[in-house]
Amino acid sequence: MKVLVYSSFTFSYLNRARVLYQTLRRFHPDWETVALITDEPPPGFVFDPASEPFDRVVWAKDLGIEAFRGWLFRHDVVEVCTAVKGPFLHQVCEAGVADIAIYLDPDTALFAPLDPLVEMLGASDILLTPHLIDPNEDRAAILDNDLSASRTGIFNLGFVAIRTTGEGARFARWWNDRLLAFCYDDIPSGLFVDQKWCDHVPALFDRVKVVRDPGYNVASWNLSTRKVAITRDGEILVNGATLRFWHFTKLGPTGDVMTKRYAGDNFEVYEVWRWYKEAVAAATDPAIPERWWAHGQFDDGTPIAKPQRVLYRERADLQAAFPDPFAGGYQAWWRAEGPGRNG
Amino acid sequence: MGQGDAPERKRRALATAFDPVFYRTVYDDIARVGADPFQHYAETGWREGRDPAPWFSVPAYLERHPEAGGGDPFAHYLLRGWSEGCEPSPSRHRERFLERIGGPLRPPSGEPVATSPESEIPEPLAMVPVGSDPDLPAGLTRKAARDLVAAAFDPAFYLSAYPDIAAAGQDPLEHYLLAGRREGRDPTPGFKAADYLEVNPDLAASGVDPFLHWLVAGRAEGRPLRFELGFRGRIVAGLIPLQARMAAAASAAAAITADRPRGLAPLSAASQATGLHVTFSHDDFTTRIGGVQLCLQAESAGLARRGIDHLHVFPAVPWPTLRPAGSRAALGVVWNGRTLGHFAVGDILKALGKRRAGASTTLAVHSLLGHEIGETLDILAAAGARRGLFWLHDFAGLCAGYHLMRDEARDCGAPPAGSAACRVCAFGPGRDLHLSAHRRLFEALDLTLVAPSQAALDTWSAAPDAPAATAAQVHPHARLIPSGRFAEATEGPLTVAFLGMPSAYKGWPVFTDLAERFRDDPRYRFVRLGSAVAPGAPADHIEVSVTADNPHAMREALDSARVDVAILWSLCRETFSFAAYEAAAAGAAILTGPDSGNIAAFTRTGDHGLVLPDEASLFAQFESGTVQSLSRKVRRPEICEIEYSGMSVDLLESLS
Repeated sequence: MKVLVYSSFTFSYLNRARVLYQTLRRFHPDWETVALITDEPPPGFVFDPASEPFDRVVWAKDLGIEAFRGWLFRHDVVEVCTAVKGPFLHQVCEAGVADIAIYLDPDTALFAPLDPLVEMLGASDILLTPHLIDPNEDRAAILDNDLSASRTGIFNLGFVAIRTTGEGARFARWWNDRLLAFCYDDIPSGLFVDQKWCDHVPALFDRVKVVRDPGYNVASWNLSTRKVAITRDGEILVNGATLRFWHFTKLGPTGDVMTKRYAGDNFEVYEVWRWYKEAVAAATDPAIPERWWAHGQFDDGTPIAKPQRVLYRERADLQAAFPDPFAGGYQAWWRAEGPGRNG
Repeated sequence: MGQGDAPERKRRALATAFDPVFYRTVYDDIARVGADPFQHYAETGWREGRDPAPWFSVPAYLERHPEAGGGDPFAHYLLRGWSEGCEPSPSRHRERFLERIGGPLRPPSGEPVATSPESEIPEPLAMVPVGSDPDLPAGLTRKAARDLVAAAFDPAFYLSAYPDIAAAGQDPLEHYLLAGRREGRDPTPGFKAADYLEVNPDLAASGVDPFLHWLVAGRAEGRPLRFELGFRGRIVAGLIPLQARMAAAASAAAAITADRPRGLAPLSAASQATGLHVTFSHDDFTTRIGGVQLCLQAESAGLARRGIDHLHVFPAVPWPTLRPAGSRAALGVVWNGRTLGHFAVGDILKALGKRRAGASTTLAVHSLLGHEIGETLDILAAAGARRGLFWLHDFAGLCAGYHLMRDEARDCGAPPAGSAACRVCAFGPGRDLHLSAHRRLFEALDLTLVAPSQAALDTWSAAPDAPAATAAQVHPHARLIPSGRFAEATEGPLTVAFLGMPSAYKGWPVFTDLAERFRDDPRYRFVRLGSAVAPGAPADHIEVSVTADNPHAMREALDSARVDVAILWSLCRETFSFAAYEAAAAGAAILTGPDSGNIAAFTRTGDHGLVLPDEASLFAQFESGTVQSLSRKVRRPEICEIEYSGMSVDLLESLS
């Protein structure tokens, strides 16, 4: 059974991704690991894929997405890094290079083998992990977690695993199609990047398994109903189940607050986070500027504002007039005629 | 809040003083794109000349104080400008903003503010710039607000926590009102503005003064002051990475210049001694105080009595772990109880090489912290020592976390080295160094493992990765000798004591939580017996210093203070607890937890007190008063003498 695991990120997340791939190699040295990158290395940083803890790199620009520069411009960094997940997964299925494909967000890390997932994919073609597997009763937790999941998606797409045939392949094609056209952070329109789409998955596809084991995809949004324990045998347990992978969403003060709010005095949670912060710090290359993204600016270095992307994606005439909006034309038009001409 | 690291201090100061309502109101584009105002200001806003609050103009400040250029002018003012006399000017958007939010600066009480200062209002609070939603909660006059803060403010704490204020001779309250609160300084030891805002994010967004909010509304609303992480959570939050601690030790070691080799002449000189005994530990036992040091002092004295030369080797600077291969550091040398200095390992080897082969050479390893295993084996080979003792004073033979405390927060039980627990633990990266070095030691030498308690030996034997010793035995450091005298019954509150070093792994946080909770309860009196005052401790301090000359000092102090109960809540497996023996000898009952190793075993087997399952049970004992059954009056315990063993000297016969 050939298993391929991939993650999608930019160079500012390379440190986190390195930690993920290190843990993947520890537990699954025989799985193929792929880094899907939508970025270019920052000046001064020498990117040597051979010395990275993954097997190969796939650049988003090589996915064969039509009119790539214009398509790229329509997305901010989160939107585009989630959007490319679909095309890559679809292409893995089409190419037949693996029996199983797993996506993991770059800010996840493994603490035990994922073999049970491979077993689950004997009886199912698609595995998804919900944000919540137990209902919250506390009002603040409902506001923070349940309603957030209602807005952004029932399943957390920091993880998805499929068989690359059957319903898994059919899902990958559908996800590819939707993400190429509708992978935006636009909650009022019913969109939240790649994630909200997957609310439809149990309805649209057969052989879908909702993984309700608390050891998968532990994150601040489900800590209100998950208790972490570390045993004297050296196991890390979540509600009594082996911790498989943690989703270290929002590394920094915001994540810390949500973690403290729901972990309380469950200090084992802070132990796991302490390790992660130390591991990420060790994997950080100071040559990569914080928040670096090569496509966050026009070719002349001017930062691209979100409204400039939004207007471009809403107007076919602008897309036709400026097929490469990173070049000067669209910028000049924006200054002269765009809504932000005074800003 | 302490002075902390600079970026965090800056962020907190900015977050406290920044006015998001103002920012959103006057900069329409921010509101339109839905950007977070504070984040926008901190990242790009100040660079674009935008103002963070109605009372602060970025362009005007830069014009008047060009030295603030290059960074955020608001941060400059908050962190240092105010103290250097820099003056802010109001934002040019101030009037427009005031119009938009409904007229002139007027708090809900209807009192005019800022535009017409009142004569009776003390200057500092009157000068506090009033933002969009004024600093003052609804219905509160400035004078009332100031009086509220003044009544709750702790000037003594403020001056001790912020010595710069004391040094400048400033009035603490005035400083807090004028500047301190915006700089993120705390008004009392129990109130941390940053914690309050963190746990109440609605307040952080509103821009209200957090302390004033707590006094006026927060406490009545039952708002939390902080996230309650528990002391273990706080320990984890404060951990320093092991590599950083090792790097600091390496750096300190590199700064030590080795003494000239002639200082080692006594090692090579002709000797009338009947043999040589070589010991290793983590420090100079002749100048430091502690259990291992007392053990070595007894060993050294016993060797002198028997006419055996004693060479003791220790690292010149303290190390948190064993020293990795390839690192260079001078080693301290004690010869027959006299410290000779710090020397290069090569010079020690040469000096030993010149020594005439003696009748017999034995060894005892007390600790290898700070030692590099290759050097240790070289020194022992040069001394001709192969046979000896390995003392199980701690579990450094199993892990760099030699108390077996995962992340210094909880007993780990020495799980397999590759376990998930070891991978997340701060000591995980040092575990292989310790295991492999000790395996090398045990393989190269003929070592008897000596445990000062059965509990310690049991832990070692149960560890799946433990190095194999030639033999193992238990040899306690002390035993109790009944005196036939019984403790006198005393009246008054139950005296509850903490003994020794106020460190987390000795259970100090548990004791302080207990003492704080029951400090006003007339049933109890809390004391701490130790050699140095613990600042802020909720217990009376009784000065006690145990030395080789006065080994019974603790027992005597416990007796004279009529201590009923000793809280020996060690979080780690004690291999031998002198404190437990001292407490029992003085007639004090021991209260301990399940993870305390020798303390729990000693307490159980000798009927010396209670082993409770967890901290909740400890608190319950005090809440219900059941703990009173442990008083001297009820127990009438027998007073004992403590007889110390000869430690290694008792066992030398078996080696020769």
